[in-house]
Amino acid sequence: MLPQSHIDELRSAVGADGLITGESQLQTYECDGLTNFRVLPGAVVLPRSAAQVQAVVRVCARHKIPFVSRGAGTGLSGGALPAAGGVVISLARMNRILEVDIANRYVVVEPGVINAHVTARVAPQGYFYAPDPSSQSVCTIGGNVAENSGGAHCLKYGFTVTHTLGLEVVLPNGEIVQLGSPTLDAPGYDLTGVFVGSEGTLGVATKVILRIVKRPEVVQTLLAAFDSPHAAGQTVSDIIAAGMLPSALEIMDALAIEAAEAAVHANYPVCGGLLLVELDGPSSEVEALMSEARAICSKNGAQQVRVAQSDQERALVWKGRKAAFAAMGRISPNYIVQDGVIPRTALPSVLSEIDRMASAAGLRVANVFHAGDGNLHPLVLYDRAIAGQEELALDLSYRILHLCVDNGGSITGEHGVGKEKQEALGYMFSEPDLATMQLVRCAFDPENIANPDKVFPRTRLCAAEIPGPYTPHPLETAGIAEIF
Amino acid sequence: MTSTTAITAQECAAQLANIAGEAHTEVAGETVSVAPLDAAQISQILRFADANAISVTPFGSGTKAGWGNPVAPGIRLSLNRRNSLREHPWQDMTCTVEAGCTWASMQAELAQHGQMVALDPLWPERATVGGIVATNDSGALRLKYGGLRDLIIGMTIVLPDGTIAKTGGKVVKNVAGYDLHKLMTGSFGTLGVITEVNFRLHPAETDARTWTATAPDALQFAEPLRILLDSQMTPSSIQLRAGKLQSALDVRIATRPEAFDEQAARLRKILGQIELSDSVNEVWQARQRLFDHEDRVILKASMLSSDICSVSSELQHLAAKQEFEFDLTAQATGLMTVSLNIPADAVPRLLDQLRSRLRTSGGSVIALRIPESIRAGLDVWGCDSNALALMREIKRRFDPNRTLNPGRFVGNI
Ligand SMILES: Cc1cc2nc3c(=O)[nH]c(=O)nc-3n(C[C@H](O)[C@H](O)[C@H](O)COP(=O)(O)OP(=O)(O)OC[C@H]3O[C@@H](n4cnc5c(N)ncnc54)[C@H](O)[C@@H]3O)c2cc1C
Repeated sequence: MLPQSHIDELRSAVGADGLITGESQLQTYECDGLTNFRVLPGAVVLPRSAAQVQAVVRVCARHKIPFVSRGAGTGLSGGALPAAGGVVISLARMNRILEVDIANRYVVVEPGVINAHVTARVAPQGYFYAPDPSSQSVCTIGGNVAENSGGAHCLKYGFTVTHTLGLEVVLPNGEIVQLGSPTLDAPGYDLTGVFVGSEGTLGVATKVILRIVKRPEVVQTLLAAFDSPHAAGQTVSDIIAAGMLPSALEIMDALAIEAAEAAVHANYPVCGGLLLVELDGPSSEVEALMSEARAICSKNGAQQVRVAQSDQERALVWKGRKAAFAAMGRISPNYIVQDGVIPRTALPSVLSEIDRMASAAGLRVANVFHAGDGNLHPLVLYDRAIAGQEELALDLSYRILHLCVDNGGSITGEHGVGKEKQEALGYMFSEPDLATMQLVRCAFDPENIANPDKVFPRTRLCAAEIPGPYTPHPLETAGIAEIF
Repeated sequence: MTSTTAITAQECAAQLANIAGEAHTEVAGETVSVAPLDAAQISQILRFADANAISVTPFGSGTKAGWGNPVAPGIRLSLNRRNSLREHPWQDMTCTVEAGCTWASMQAELAQHGQMVALDPLWPERATVGGIVATNDSGALRLKYGGLRDLIIGMTIVLPDGTIAKTGGKVVKNVAGYDLHKLMTGSFGTLGVITEVNFRLHPAETDARTWTATAPDALQFAEPLRILLDSQMTPSSIQLRAGKLQSALDVRIATRPEAFDEQAARLRKILGQIELSDSVNEVWQARQRLFDHEDRVILKASMLSSDICSVSSELQHLAAKQEFEFDLTAQATGLMTVSLNIPADAVPRLLDQLRSRLRTSGGSVIALRIPESIRAGLDVWGCDSNALALMREIKRRFDPNRTLNPGRFVGNI
């Protein structure tokens, strides 16, 4: 618990209406989208300006109180999980779009702005904000920046980092710095690039300069039904090998289709592996590419190939895809959303191995994936009511992550490490790698108060941290050398 | 070696020869060049230098060695024995390349599978991957494909204390841990030695065409450029070229062959009265050609894309008034390279003028090449960031003894 004197200081930083200390209200903030971890914070503040954020962080720095920034709390790795007795800084009230510069294709927003609102604001001029996490109608730009969030269309358009030109950040010591700018290549280290994806451990973003993109002239979405996700996966490889860069390439397996159908009636074909291919660009180009993509689907044995005929139909196709996680609730009492990445070519073998591991554990795993960039979202289905099944499911989900690393991939493609995957990070990176990352952490946050005990496998103190000489990673000694 | 270094160049060379072999160690005046075989040797060399307060300059082929502040002589750590494309899993569209590999030889290998790293840096025949990454160089393709920050997915680096660390990975999508490769990109060899880089690849632009329009005053392109950037056309590159009396706009489009006619028609419509003609690939060499006259001052200016025509036009008027010659290229991304034929003593004033012109919109000007006579006291970087203290702290954490390229970077980092 926070001493009363600290609470008083926080109150003078944000005003009485910006401070929450009542236990029942605090409970709203005890977890994010990863609900099996819960911690009650000591206080929640709701600042309205960078100056107020700064005042709060100064209080925290003075008394070494840990703080955790929070956007909409939709994170899936426990990133916004409070520190026990610490302060949660909710950016929800900092939700203004400050500047729109169409001629130079950027906007400046506060961190609490909801992702979809950026597009809504620039749509009348024919622009959009490209990163589109499935949670885009609720998640915030601050959270997106912290997680370097992606979405179905980042295959072509890139991730949050691709679209973040600059930031204003309150550092853990309370200083405010400007990183980057609407222009490129500002002299100095690319600290914007470092901050994006740092999961709230390097400070609080209080302003974000985002790139916006002109809407393509045409967008076409093709649905192709295959017997298995493998055949769909092969098609993805062939499309890429043909030199195309679709805006999205998504695969859903039979279980995921079943769930999505039950939830939103997306009118998907019943099949073992559904492939969505979205192409966009100038109409003459898209037409040429679309017929090529169709041919590749047929060659790989697609039973049905269909192009969404209207904007409504296309929207429905995507609604089904974006609802896939939540829809799992309709076919299983409980489920774990996993997020791993593999090189695209490893798709067939990794899918078979996941099948094998799932049946050995007696569990079902549904698969939804951003196939174009090898980002898997295996959904491990289980029933908490059955004794021991949750542990089995958790174990399976972590083993799937190891499988991704063993295949040259990553433990997370977009959801972040947070609280959930700290140990897995230690599986992916060796000690010297982690110690080097820690140098950055210590430069920004020597007192370790910004979202402490997250991301890294164990708590590290800055002063004592001296990276040692190179020691081979266990995988290298085991002969799977140079895996990442 | 400098006067503060405890050992002589000869002694240093003897130590380095023990690590990398005599055949790969060479003394030239106060500088000892060494070309290690692998990361383990680089690690040993750095530890030796760090312990003996000898400065180290990572070295590719020296094409950009003059950028930034000069570094006192010490060890020149050459990456030229680390020069191969290690892996090219072409179906995954990624590659791993050693830092000493020249850009052109890497691209030639990738092209065998119809792929490329979508970046067109300076002097690809000579410049190495490591040097290009360390200076964050980029060319006209950046408009469509982004810069190195968007193309690099992982790296291996060696720190001054000998730590060999990996960052990122070999998959395009990956948010595990901090992206140290973003920190290393553009850090001018002040934090660590880059030994390997993992790139994401794009299909090579097999079908691409270039069109060029010309007009006397660069300002005439302002409105067409605005309309073009606001259109749904997707050019790979747009470049403005300007000199004292003439200017040109080059547009490159890569698409399916059947789509070119329609794209050209649209482009003509956007340019209106200004005539557009089919052009040649060579126009994209224009930025590199700016460096050809060795006596010219070279500036890299960064500005909003809406400013490139007006700033160019202002330079045209200034050049006419003050009677100097200049040539520039400006990408539609807002990055401009200017080559100036002006007296040395006029450089500081012009630099100041340009900087204050661009500063209000977040822009900046870096002096890439200046006459030695005015180097003392001239701030080549022009970094007015309020994050400079933080940058210094990062340097201190990575390189507490200031072993790597001391003084070369912003704020004398
Ligand atoms: C149904 C569903 C679907 C999803 N789909 C996707 C998807 O397709 N792609 C994807 O990438 N993610 C997806 N997510 C995950 C999640 O939505 C994203 O990670 C999102 O970016 C989190 O935003 P948020 O505002 O909810 O952040 P929070 O969950 O509140 O916080 C996330 C992290 O950001 C930090 N943070 C928040 N604001 C700031 C700030 N201003 N400064 C510094 N740090 C800050 C927090 O400390 C925390 O570490 C999905 C989640 C759900 C529930």
